[in-house]
Order: sequence, then structure tokens, then C-alpha cells
Amino acid sequence: MNKLPLVVLLLLFISGCGGGGSSSNVSAPQPPDPPSPPSQEQLVSASRLASSSTFGITYEGIENIAQTGSEAWLDSQFDMQPTFSRDIVDSLVQRRDEGEFEAIEDDIDLLIAFRRYAWWHVAMTAPDVVRQRVALALSEIMVVSDNVDTLLVYPYALTDYSDLLVASAFSNFRDLLRDVAQHPAMGVYLSHANNARSDPENNIFPDENFAREVMQLFSIGLFELNVDGSHKLDDEGQSIPTYTNIEIREFAKIFTGFSFAGPDSYFGNEEPFFQAPMVMFDNEHEPGPKKLLNDLVVPAGQTGMQDFEDAIDNLFNHPNVGPFIGRKLIQRLVSSNPSPEYVERVARVFNGDNSGRRGDMKDVIRAILLDPEASNPDGSIKFGRLREPMLRQLAMARQFNAKSTDGFFFNDGFFLQSLVKQHPFSSPSVFNFFLPDHTPQGSLAEQGLVAPEFQITTANTIVAMTNLVGAAVYANYIMETDGPFGTVSLDISDYVALAADADALIDRLDLVLTSGGLSDDTREVIRNSITQITDDDLFRTQVAIYLFMISPDYAVQT
Amino acid sequence: MITRRNFINHACGLGVSAAPIVSSLLSLGAARQLSAQTLPDYKAMVCILLAGGNDSYNMVIPNDSDQYSQYSAIRSDLALKQQSLLPLAGATESGRHYALHPGMAQVQQLFDNGELAIMANVGTMVEAVDAQAVEAGTAKLPLGLLSHSDQIAQWQTALPGTRSTSGWGGRLADLFQGVNLANGISMNISLSGTNIFQSGVATGEYSIDSQGDGAIGIDEYNDGSEFGAFQKQIIDSMFAVKHTNLFRSEYSLRMRSSIEAQRVFVEALQSTNLPTTTFSQNKLSQSLRQISRVIAARETLGVSRQTFFITVGGWDHHDELLDNQAALLPLLSTGLSEFRHALVELGVFQDVTTFTISDFARTLTSNGRGSDHGWGGHQLMMGGSVNGQRLYGSYPILAKNSPLDIGRGIYIPTTSVDLYFAELALWFGVSQADLPMILPNIGKFYAGGNSAPLGFMV
Repeated sequence: MNKLPLVVLLLLFISGCGGGGSSSNVSAPQPPDPPSPPSQEQLVSASRLASSSTFGITYEGIENIAQTGSEAWLDSQFDMQPTFSRDIVDSLVQRRDEGEFEAIEDDIDLLIAFRRYAWWHVAMTAPDVVRQRVALALSEIMVVSDNVDTLLVYPYALTDYSDLLVASAFSNFRDLLRDVAQHPAMGVYLSHANNARSDPENNIFPDENFAREVMQLFSIGLFELNVDGSHKLDDEGQSIPTYTNIEIREFAKIFTGFSFAGPDSYFGNEEPFFQAPMVMFDNEHEPGPKKLLNDLVVPAGQTGMQDFEDAIDNLFNHPNVGPFIGRKLIQRLVSSNPSPEYVERVARVFNGDNSGRRGDMKDVIRAILLDPEASNPDGSIKFGRLREPMLRQLAMARQFNAKSTDGFFFNDGFFLQSLVKQHPFSSPSVFNFFLPDHTPQGSLAEQGLVAPEFQITTANTIVAMTNLVGAAVYANYIMETDGPFGTVSLDISDYVALAADADALIDRLDLVLTSGGLSDDTREVIRNSITQITDDDLFRTQVAIYLFMISPDYAVQT
Repeated sequence: MITRRNFINHACGLGVSAAPIVSSLLSLGAARQLSAQTLPDYKAMVCILLAGGNDSYNMVIPNDSDQYSQYSAIRSDLALKQQSLLPLAGATESGRHYALHPGMAQVQQLFDNGELAIMANVGTMVEAVDAQAVEAGTAKLPLGLLSHSDQIAQWQTALPGTRSTSGWGGRLADLFQGVNLANGISMNISLSGTNIFQSGVATGEYSIDSQGDGAIGIDEYNDGSEFGAFQKQIIDSMFAVKHTNLFRSEYSLRMRSSIEAQRVFVEALQSTNLPTTTFSQNKLSQSLRQISRVIAARETLGVSRQTFFITVGGWDHHDELLDNQAALLPLLSTGLSEFRHALVELGVFQDVTTFTISDFARTLTSNGRGSDHGWGGHQLMMGGSVNGQRLYGSYPILAKNSPLDIGRGIYIPTTSVDLYFAELALWFGVSQADLPMILPNIGKFYAGGNSAPLGFMV
């Protein structure tokens, strides 16, 4: 499995040891133009914001945030046009139809890989970096996955769903919830596409799958919550369930009657169409009243879509949504164990307490990212969030100036996924790659902390991630490539230029990668390691980057 | 004989969420380890989790004509044709006959050979309940009944009343660690990553891959080259750093443990003669193949007790139930048979017991294309020490208005998971006195003493 990086690595090392090839000239960093360069404090703050809200940006990007100011920079991000994957898939399908990929089509079903290629290319190049990051966070809350064959083999299935999350990342949560519920990929994944009304004579009843998960995972969760995310308790001190199987069956009736849109649309059509929302067939929609949450009764005689919209309103207006979704988003972006006060501040923004805009996603994202607990953490030993492997791989490519020989960043990610058990839109189940309350045994559990990402951090994946860093840094193996596609390689020349001064190199990496949070002891290890290399700035820089990227200091976003 | 050391108080190492169980354990005076005496024998359990909720009422089917008619009526468009079923030899004590899904010929063979048994209608239970109490809302029910995340967890924790992070396999390892820590590799080995079943208080799982030698090492680390020596030096120093931040500290600990374990593990596997049995290429079979290699290396690894864990996903058949089960059950059947042959070849078939678990069975009634979340269901147990060719527990009568039906053909379990697991734990070497530490809820269903919980183990 590691043969390729291993071999290349060895070759590179041999040339590196010989002292040939790499630059021995130390060029000074270019002097910055602005009259008042940002302070170290501003840079650190900008780096921390970038860590929470982007897929990783370079030193210049961090400088830009620092100069613009966090709020103004976020506003400019909110104003950007969304970048979608479907255009990329369109062009790939066209190139395939024109025969460009014939040479490699025997090896891989390209249609399967197209949506992955498109995702990586957009993630590498899109200027709307915050929107893309939030969309990925949403994809780990409202989960669909290409481990279901239908969603794997139709290139537009997850492309269109991903684009929906990108489009809705800064809209209103109600619209997002409705669009997710009506999306054909979700209809396939949680089986409410072609879900028919009851047929009691034949013992056939509506499918409960989506009805259950839309409540448990996408909106309100299992238990009644206070606004700070803590459980409400009954007189006996027990948590109070938000719903029972009775409500699930009522919601299951709501989600009957949907099938795929498209040129040949009829209920029961098994040929999915992914480029438009599912359509309602009233004849197949369960008639009669439905009793939903908080005693809302949807009356008999409505159309299927009226029922559907009422049910979305019923979920959206449940008081749990703010703290439930707020906490999940904080966990995906900032920290695993937000304080109740932090959750409450975000939930109140979600609720529109001051703005009157319930569910406004821009408000919520701003509240999450600019909260004092995110921008100025108190250095508690309990603070942090383990970076997800897929985000580490992506950040490595972005922060070290990955360039592609043909301008496209094609990566199918199957190798990455096999090693670190993670790839966007490829979760093993609707419960995501890890549970939000996963608690590793040991000191984290003793402190009552959750650490979701540790659920996929096993003896093998932790080493595999380290090897991926080595392959990228020493052997420029960062993305998979094939046939006519270009080759991607890192460009670390900016850092090589700093390498003569070990401390300057470490300081720069500390700012970009660890937001100034490198511990003294780790700094000492890196310093002692790289100062052993005296005649080769490239190699010295590679070792420094390698050690940074595998360090516990970087692995944990603090 | 296994003897035990005096109480070792684990309280300082206990997770907050495990506190309620733990305090009850401590009050029982049960938090203790077995002593470091050598165990004369070797035993292993292999737990196969069919994740998503196997519709096991289509895995084991009533085969008498009147009962098949009831089955067929309630299952409607999900009913398998009777002539396609694989009949099981013999009958139950009540004189009823059963059959298997048509894709499970190897399991039929194993059953007929007396090497496999079936556990009928087993499920998570806080206490025995009836449908009236469930209807009235007065029954004490498992938390999050019918929900994947809770039920899949409770099958692993055997703690249906709490959301715990401690699994019963993990608690076994806590108990047995004194006899098992010869080389620093956990006795609990997972082919499917982190899982609750194998997470104890003091011990977790060692996670391996089904491919290669199972464990990945850091590239170039100490590989004999000049760079390899440098790589070892810088990696070792990096992960020797002490961190105050708890997340960083945990990350560093995991890396150190992984580097050390990988070296020992791969050396052990490479120095052992491997079984020659051919396994299929799918993930389950390859995982079972890797397990048979680890078992072959048991003496080099210095272990006398092991658990193995495999997750096989894809059983949440709200739709395409018939097609999907027709694809998945043969993989399970073939995998079990291949594993059996490898274990026989290694001479340890009587020492290794393989058993299935799953979130729940599913509604007997259809949703038009599949079935929804249920409760009690059927499981398989295989091994040379299993009293095979029998169906244990009580297979419900699938009549309309069954007293066990709580709606849509969701059946209240007639056997608790505690009894199912107690039978395995006692065989594994847990004493009656220690049983409540492994299965805190067992007292509700089992009085202990000389009679076995269910009797399916020799």
C-alpha cells in the first residue's frame, strides 16, 4: 500500500543527501508594501479564523485577512458567488464522450470518479472558501454517501447534492432543510423516494427511514434541549425524548408520494434523476390528518406539498434546532466541547432573538466563527478539535501552494480513503464518520470530554496520515493522477527561502499551520531536528514541514 | 484454574459517562483483574456486527406449513417462497421446524454438522416487558429503542439503560488484562476500527487492516538506511514531547502505542505458519482470514484470550430488502464456512466461538420495498464448542395479534442479550462471581448457579 511513496521517497532522499539540486542561495523574503503591516496578534487571529473557516490558506491569505479585519473579510466571503461542481462534471462528461479518456477507461469507471475529481478541484481553487468549508461541515450533518451504489455510479447524484449545500450554506436553515428533504440523493439514501401511501390490507405501511433520521440527525435530536444545549429534565431528573415512534410514523406519512423528476417522471420510476428536486404525486401521498410535533395537526385534504411544507415548518420551529445544529456546526468548525455559554450565544442568534431572522445561516456562521471562544480561546487543556484526515490532506495541498501542470486538481481520493477511512460524501452510514459524542477512553473521558474525530484515529490511520504527509512533502505525492490528467506538486520555495534561519522558518510555519500555538517542547524538537541539516535548505525545509504536519500540535486545532 | 487478585480500584480511570455502572460495580466489589497466572488454554470470541439491522426474520424462517402461512401473510411482498428455503435438520423442543434463507447453504451445512446454532428472538432489554405495558407507556424500555445509534451501541455495551462508552468485550479485557499483556498489544483486536464492544476502562482495541500484515508502520522508520535512523530519531523525539492539552496528549499517546505495537505485531505474524485455507476476496472473508492469521500467531503474541470484532455494513434495508439480503447473506454464509475450515486446519475450532450481533431485526410488515426498524431478532453462533444443530430461545408465533407484537410486527425479544452474552462469557472463563462486572444487567434474567444461561456452549 505504501510502495509508491516509499520508493520515490528513497530516491529523493538519495539526491537530497548528495547535496545536489537544491538551492543554497538564501533569498530574502520580499518586503511587504503596506505602510502598517499587521501585528503578530492580528496575524495569529487571522490564522485561527482561517483554520476554522477555510480548507487552509497560505501566509499571504492570512495577511490579507489580518489587513482586511475578520468581520469585513467574512462579509466579503458571504458576498461571493458560489462555486459549483456541476460545471466541472459537465466538462468531464463531455471530454469523456469525446473519447479523451479512452486510454484509462479500462482501469477505472470514470463516471464514478468524476464527482470526486470535481469536488477536489473546487476545494483547491474556489475563491468562496468559507462557503465551501461550511458546505462540507453540513455534509457531515445532513449525510448522504457514495457507499450506496446508486449515488456512486451517477456522477450528478452527489455533485448536485454537494452544490445544494454550497448554494444553501448562507441561506436560511428552513430552506436548506426543505431542499435536503426533497433532494433525490437524499430520497435514494434514506429511501423516501418512491415511498408509497399505506396499503393496510396487504400489511404495507410508509417507510420510516427518512422520518426518523430527519428528526434524530438533521434538525432536533433525540432529547429536549435548553437553549445552551443541555438536556431538559423531567421531575425525576430524566432526559425528555423529543418524539416517539408514533411521531415517526406520522412524519413517515408526510414523506409519501415523492418520486424523481425528469423527462419521464412517474411514481415508482426506479431510474433516478438527480438534477431537480423530487416531485410529489398526490395520488400516492397518504391522505388524512397527521399529528406532528408539539401537537401540530396537519389537516386532511391538503396536497402532498402543503403537508410537506407544514412538516418542514414544524421541524424548523422546534426550539431544539438552534442549540442542536449550532453545537454540531461548532464541532465541525471550531472545537469539540463548546461551553454551554458558547452554544447559547449561537443558538440565540439562530433563534433570531435580536435580529428577528430565525435560521439565518450567515448570522449563525458569523456567530460561530467570531465568538470569543473561537477567536480568543483561553488556552484550556480541554480546548481543541482533532483535525479530520481529509481536511489535513487538503490543507497540506492548499497551504503549500500545490500546482497542477494542466490547471486541474484531479483526485479521486480512493487511496486516501483506504488509508485514513475518510473522504467527502463517503461516510459509512448516515451517522457520519464519527459520532458527535464519541468519547475516547482515558484522560479525555476522565474529563468528560468528547472527541469525535478520534473515532477514526486508529493505530493504522494515525500512521497512514503521517505517511501521507511524508509522501507529499518528500515525494510530491499529494494527489492521484492518471492518463491525460495533469500532475500536482507542492511548491515550498517560499519556505525554502527562509530555511537558513531555522527560527524564522519555524515561526512562519507556526503562524500558518498552528496559529502561533506551537508548544515550546515541540518547537525544540523541530529546531534540534532541522539544525542537523546544514548544507541543504530544501531538505531542511522538507523536514520542518513534515514534522509540523505530523505533530500533535498541528493535528489538534486549538 | 483462574484465580483472582484482590480488588483493584479502577475508579480513577473511569469515564464520567460510565460512572453509574461503575459505582454499582464497585458496590458489588467487582472491579478487579484476574491474576497474572498462565492460562493453560486458549480461547477467542469473534463478534460479527451486521450493522444497520439485519432483517433476520428472513434469515431464519418458520417452515411448518401453518406457520409458514402466518409468516407469508404478515410479510406480504417481503415473504420468501417456501420452496426456495433451506430446511434445517431436526426440530425444536416444541416440534416446530425452521429453514434458512436460500443463500445460506454453508450455514445449513454447519448447522447440520452440529457446529452452528441459532439464537431466536434475542434483543436488548432493561427488564422483561409485555405489549400491554409497552402500549401503556409503563414498561422500562431500552433508551432509544428502534434507533440505530442507540441499539447498535447497546448490543455492544449490554447496558440498555444508559449511554455508555464501555463495551462488554472491553470489560472482559479489563478483567483479563493481567493474563494477556505479555507484549503490549490489546487482547481485543478489531478489523473495523474503533468500536464500543472492545472499549473497556483500562483497555481498548488494537485496530488492524484485513490486507497485508494488518498493521502499518511509519515509512522509512528505522529501516536500516541513514535516513531511516534520522527518521526514527526525529519521530521518537516528536512523540516523546509531553503535552498539557488533552487532545494533543491523546494523539501523541496513540502514535507511540501504534509504532510499538506494529513492530511486535508484524514480527509475530511473519514468523508464524499461516493457514492455507482459501478465503473469498470480499471484506468479511478477508477480515476472517486475517483473524485466522492472528490466531495462528497466538503463542508468539503471548495471548491466551482474545476477542475479534468485524463490522459488516449495509443491512439497513428500508428498500431493496430481498435483493440486498440475497447479496449479503451468502457472503456471511461463505465467510463463516471458510473461517471454520481455517480454524479446523489450525486445530483451534473448539477454542474459537464466532457469533453475530445486529442493531435489531425489522418490522415483519412491509413498507412496500423493505422493512423498518424493529427489536428482537435472530443470531448465529458457530464453533467447535457450540452445541449446534439447535435453535435456542423462543421463536415467536408470527400470528396477527401476537402478544409480542408492539405494532407493525415489531417483536418484543423473548431472550435478553445479557443471557446470550453470559453464555459466551462463562465459556470464555469469566466466573459466576465476575459475571455482573461484564454484564451488569444479568441479575434481571439469570439467577446464576449450576444451570447455564441458555446452554448453547459446551
